[in-house]
Amino acid sequence: MSVLAPIICDNGTGYSKVGFAGNSDPSFVFPTAIATKGSASSSSNAPAIPSKPGHLASKRGVEDLDFFIGDEALANAKTPGYGVHYPIRHGMIDNWDHMERYWEQTIFKYLRAEPEDHYFLLTEPPLNAPENREQTAEIFFESFNIKGLYIAVQAVLALAASWSSNRVTDRTLTGTVIDSGDGVTHVIPCAEGYVIGSAIKHIPIAGRDISQFVLNLMRERGEMATVPPEDQLRVASKVKENYSYVCQDIVKEFRKYDADPYKHFERYEGEHSVTGRKYAVDVGYERFLAPEIFFNPEIYSSDFLTPLPEIVDEVIKQSPIDVRRGLYKNIVLSGGSTMFQHFGQRLKRDLKQLVDRRLDASVLASGSVQKSSGVEVDVISHKRQRYAVWYGGSLLASLPEFYTSCHTKAQYDEIGPSICRRYQIFGSAT
Amino acid sequence: MILLEPHNVIIQTTLADKILKPSSVDVQFVDYDGVRFHLSTTPERKTLLLLSMHIRCWDELVQYGALDVLRREYGSLLQPQSEPDYNVSLAIDLEQLPASNEDRESFIMSVALFKRNALAAPFEHAFTSQKGLDSAGAGTGDLMQIHYRDEEAIYIQASHDRVTVIFSTVFRDETDRIYGKVFLQEFVDARRQPSIQTAPQVLYSNRDPPLEIRHLPNLRNTDDTGYVTFVLFPRHFTNPATASATISHIQLFRDYLHYHIKCSKAYMHSRMRHRVAEFQKVLNRAKTEVATTEKKTASGRTLVSR
Amino acid sequence: MSNVLRPYLAAVRSTLTAALTLENFSSQVVERHNKPEVEAAGSKEVLLNPLTISRNENERVLIEPSVNSIRLSIKIKQADEIERILCHKFTRFMMQRAENFIVLRRKPVPGYDISFLITNTHSETMLKHKIVDFIIQFMEDVDREISEMKLSLNARARIVAESYLTAFNS
Repeated sequence: MSVLAPIICDNGTGYSKVGFAGNSDPSFVFPTAIATKGSASSSSNAPAIPSKPGHLASKRGVEDLDFFIGDEALANAKTPGYGVHYPIRHGMIDNWDHMERYWEQTIFKYLRAEPEDHYFLLTEPPLNAPENREQTAEIFFESFNIKGLYIAVQAVLALAASWSSNRVTDRTLTGTVIDSGDGVTHVIPCAEGYVIGSAIKHIPIAGRDISQFVLNLMRERGEMATVPPEDQLRVASKVKENYSYVCQDIVKEFRKYDADPYKHFERYEGEHSVTGRKYAVDVGYERFLAPEIFFNPEIYSSDFLTPLPEIVDEVIKQSPIDVRRGLYKNIVLSGGSTMFQHFGQRLKRDLKQLVDRRLDASVLASGSVQKSSGVEVDVISHKRQRYAVWYGGSLLASLPEFYTSCHTKAQYDEIGPSICRRYQIFGSAT
Repeated sequence: MILLEPHNVIIQTTLADKILKPSSVDVQFVDYDGVRFHLSTTPERKTLLLLSMHIRCWDELVQYGALDVLRREYGSLLQPQSEPDYNVSLAIDLEQLPASNEDRESFIMSVALFKRNALAAPFEHAFTSQKGLDSAGAGTGDLMQIHYRDEEAIYIQASHDRVTVIFSTVFRDETDRIYGKVFLQEFVDARRQPSIQTAPQVLYSNRDPPLEIRHLPNLRNTDDTGYVTFVLFPRHFTNPATASATISHIQLFRDYLHYHIKCSKAYMHSRMRHRVAEFQKVLNRAKTEVATTEKKTASGRTLVSR
Repeated sequence: MSNVLRPYLAAVRSTLTAALTLENFSSQVVERHNKPEVEAAGSKEVLLNPLTISRNENERVLIEPSVNSIRLSIKIKQADEIERILCHKFTRFMMQRAENFIVLRRKPVPGYDISFLITNTHSETMLKHKIVDFIIQFMEDVDREISEMKLSLNARARIVAESYLTAFNS
């Protein structure tokens, strides 16, 4: 029998990316939201369906099939009787009932796959509790009878995704992953496919903050006056996505803009979503200031002040000494908020400066006797950055070793959910 | 969602996307019953999409006239030569689409029903042969076998007053087998309700194949096999619109059954989660409140007990 | 609660309450060890006579007392195939989460569906009569839950079948 492509499910806090292995893009990207009949999100901790077992009403009926997921869920948010829930919080599954039904509809309605015929690759955040894996395995093997399951850490998949870049020659799973999505940015060091949990750092600046920052800048300049208030945040995020880039020097950049504003100012044209009225705004300094908050957070926030390159340096310094070179050499970007032009170059430059300054200081301290051979710093950016985690999963699952590294249904039936506590790393050349 | 939809969502959404904004694409995906699709653009032209399908029982389907059905549905889109590794291909030129929005929608939908249309052939064949037999007054048509999965098959036979569709089912999992039995029994019983008397008659037998197919060699007769028989009467297919609805509907029977078995298990899980949480509360009542006093060292640091 | 169930549960309750006289008892076999004697079974003289309370051939409770621990195993009613699978699923689901249920054993004693192990530590840190309440409540609810699950399965199957067949009419 021809083996059907494994299914890759990357369920994130904001969006879920699902599709089949071997493809370069997920087949579906939709919000990880579920709209169920019953009260709104206020009662999210109490499951809606089995609320009153013992009553006749719950014995008769299939109310639990009455729900929507993804974009449909958000579209139905206003329908009376439905409440929208977000089953994943901070990367971890919060409500298993909702998640189970979310997967159910993902598989049967969107992917149209018979789960019994497929292997699945799921993702988990770093430092996920093993109990969560067991519960996931319980759902997938017992409810869906899937053929085999592999749960991979998102950061490791992001490393695997970087193999597609032509600058990567050795397929290594050692490196530092900078994963910046909508809610939070993580810096995660990995050594040979294993996450160094103690050194992980989070930065409370991510996509949402950048949009907000762009909005603030444009409001201050008075550009947003013509834009209807409900569209402003959307316009700001469009501006961020379409016009922003990372500059190498803010002061120079400002001067450049002032010298010849017509050359650098862009014009964004939009249309009011309800009335259809057209409006246009000028896009100016925010083009390069937006991503700048990663490198100079003080321009946006007052409570978080450490620039990203310093955080990366900290993380690597906290990792075991024998992997540090590998970590500096292979810094991999993942997630939508790392998509800015020249983001990689800027990070590399700043980090290199930090490292070199430290090396110089230690050379001086040793009285110029011991000279370091230097540390290679490299930041990899590649085409698949936006859905890097998913893409890494797709790459790994199309390797022949994938099938032998999976836990199969037979093994699950034999041993139980505890088999999911360990996973074998595979696919790296080293 | 109680009923499954007959069309493929990936085809539908990708096609709609590409019509708005043509760009190169190369994706592989699946549909129920191990059907594989490959949707790609040719390197030279971004607006020419090639959709290929691999379906396990293609040879059998061709025998029962699948090519005619597809030619009728897609006309010149159907490629004489299919892509290697796939059974049949459609070429969709995005520059030659119907102009109006409605026509486009219905065109996209018809492409999304690719698999359904291929599988419809034997059913249509049976419906026409029933008409022929009806005028003759007696006799039975030939028995068509479609091995649409490795272990499961559909058998279709027309006779002068009915069309019999038999599904063989295999449950690989013990739980599924038991749940499946409950469900199938209900299919048989549900029809006794007055409101659905007009539905096809359903018969279910465990282990023993029904009379129509008993003579066939290599039938599996193990405990986990069952046979579901649907008896379609002329009222289900005389009107062409009903006929096509019937076909779309009955094709998905197995997937429908399995979908609901899985949903029931998910439902049981959420019930169990709830019940276990209740038990937890009861047990927690037994725990005595331990007064936790914070221990501090002389310098004011707290001691943490493990 | 049916009239037959009441005396059965009453018997379990009083037996269990009587058996829950546990004391801290160090192992006689290994120095400085202290383990549940009923599980370790290292020295025979600290094990007391096990006792079975049966309601009928399908439902019974086995209580195995010892000096510092007590093991209680329950055989849950399973009338047919469906109840058997549901009961198996439910107990497995619960034992999977045994660490939250301090007194639950991860594996049942052979011949029974679910087992609890109560040690002297449990009876010292928790209220004894409340532990007994929990066991009784569990026995009461588990039967009801399983039969309800069975009913809801049948009801679902009916609805599913009906909606499939009704769709032919349209």
